[in-house]
Amino acid sequence: MTNFLAVTWGWNEMIWCTVISIALVFAVLVLLVFVMKLFGVILAQKPERKLAKVAEKPISDEQLHEEQIAAITAALKLYKSALHDRESEVLTIQSLKRAYSPWNSKIHGLTQLPDRK
Amino acid sequence: MLNLLQSNFALESLEKFLSSMGFAAFFSEMGWGNLVMILIAFFLLYLAIKKEYEPMLMMTIAFGMLLTNLPGAGLFHEELFAGGHVHWGEFAHGAGLLDYLYLGVKLGIYPCLIFVGVGAMTDFGPLIANPKSFLLGAAAQVGIFATFLAAYAMGFTPEQAGSIGIIGGADGPTAIFLTARLAPELLGPIAVAAYSYMALVPVIQPPIMRALTTKKERQIKMSTLRQVSKKERILFPIVIASIISLILPDAAPLIGCLMLGNLMKESGVVDRLSKTVQNELMNIVVIFLGLTVGATATANAFLNPSTIKIMVMGVVAFGVASACGVLFAKLMNCFLKEGNKINPLIGSAGVSAVPMAARVSQKVGQEENPSNFLLMHAMGPNVAGVVGSAVAAGLLLSFLG
Repeated sequence: MTNFLAVTWGWNEMIWCTVISIALVFAVLVLLVFVMKLFGVILAQKPERKLAKVAEKPISDEQLHEEQIAAITAALKLYKSALHDRESEVLTIQSLKRAYSPWNSKIHGLTQLPDRK
Repeated sequence: MLNLLQSNFALESLEKFLSSMGFAAFFSEMGWGNLVMILIAFFLLYLAIKKEYEPMLMMTIAFGMLLTNLPGAGLFHEELFAGGHVHWGEFAHGAGLLDYLYLGVKLGIYPCLIFVGVGAMTDFGPLIANPKSFLLGAAAQVGIFATFLAAYAMGFTPEQAGSIGIIGGADGPTAIFLTARLAPELLGPIAVAAYSYMALVPVIQPPIMRALTTKKERQIKMSTLRQVSKKERILFPIVIASIISLILPDAAPLIGCLMLGNLMKESGVVDRLSKTVQNELMNIVVIFLGLTVGATATANAFLNPSTIKIMVMGVVAFGVASACGVLFAKLMNCFLKEGNKINPLIGSAGVSAVPMAARVSQKVGQEENPSNFLLMHAMGPNVAGVVGSAVAAGLLLSFLG
């Protein structure tokens, strides 16, 4: 293995070091591009594929009859009309403490309105 | 009574006291240097407080500079770290407060701890959604290596040239991490240059961005980024830290800490730790880092022609890095289909300086087309720049360290 400390650095070594370094920075980051693309393919598109599969599947006549549709619709109607008849009397508004971040900063906002006094 | 008047004790005591005063040291050999450094510290404090130029670090750096140049205070002793080594044996013989705190810089502890906080504050979502951004982050690092060569041509040693080049990474902790290892004698000027130019990103970048792009290019609208799942966000720091550390072990401290912080944030199970590293830990380390880096800017180290060269090289590094990012984005457009083209303005965000550089891309883009929102697109190259500059630092360390 080359001991770089033992090398006498001149223009040749400097230029080679620069070329190799730039190439390696690109190589490492290009590798990361492919890794992240692979991530996207494996992880991000899975739900979409599943949905597409379900959507593509035709509904057979045996699956739903008119009476069944009517029954489901009626049940939903009844359920929705019954909803909120009695309130739980519990306040459901939660106060949220947002941690500071430049993204929610009003001082650093990009569309600051003029301060009219 | 007569004896009391004849005694020289009072006079001698007074003389001794006057000579021990810091003011007296201003008239000694290098006294004028201390005075000049104190004036520079005042100027930097003005920039930090009045102009708000990176105040978090600029103020502490400037105050460290002030303390170290107060003659007689003895807070920092350069000789304890002479020759790039820590002279542990000398510590017992009157090391000052800043000497002890400086060990955190010297041993590379503070920059890594800051990176834990930076990781916890960074959203890598835009980068995960658009991995092509990594290429723009890589392109901007060309500025580091161009400056590396330019600094060598100006007479710096390869180690010093590498430390000066890293200013182009626009990443303070990385610059300090590398300089403390390669060229500790230049730590003061390089830290001041790095943080000054980071604050001046909105001034330095826009003219370069406009000069290298056409009006039509600046008006390009980019398609909306896809949603990133939680699983991807959690796996990202684990995978990146593993891959980069295996390829480049020298970059492991920086990348490892950056990704640890990000995992704390994205996992959502250690909210307390995530908040601590973002706030308390980060703030405490910033105080120590700023003070001690400022303390290295003694008159001997700072007042020489090298400092002026470093300041000039710093602007060159920033400018070349921004230009390379923009030009590479234009090159990428040659291979991208219509509708998938990227706005070259986001290329300049590849020089870390998070999130300032991304904001500059957004601002310049909106000047051309007010309905164009480039911020999230620019965040991709911006955070890729942080990874890229850490990789570049690791490479320089492996070659020169």
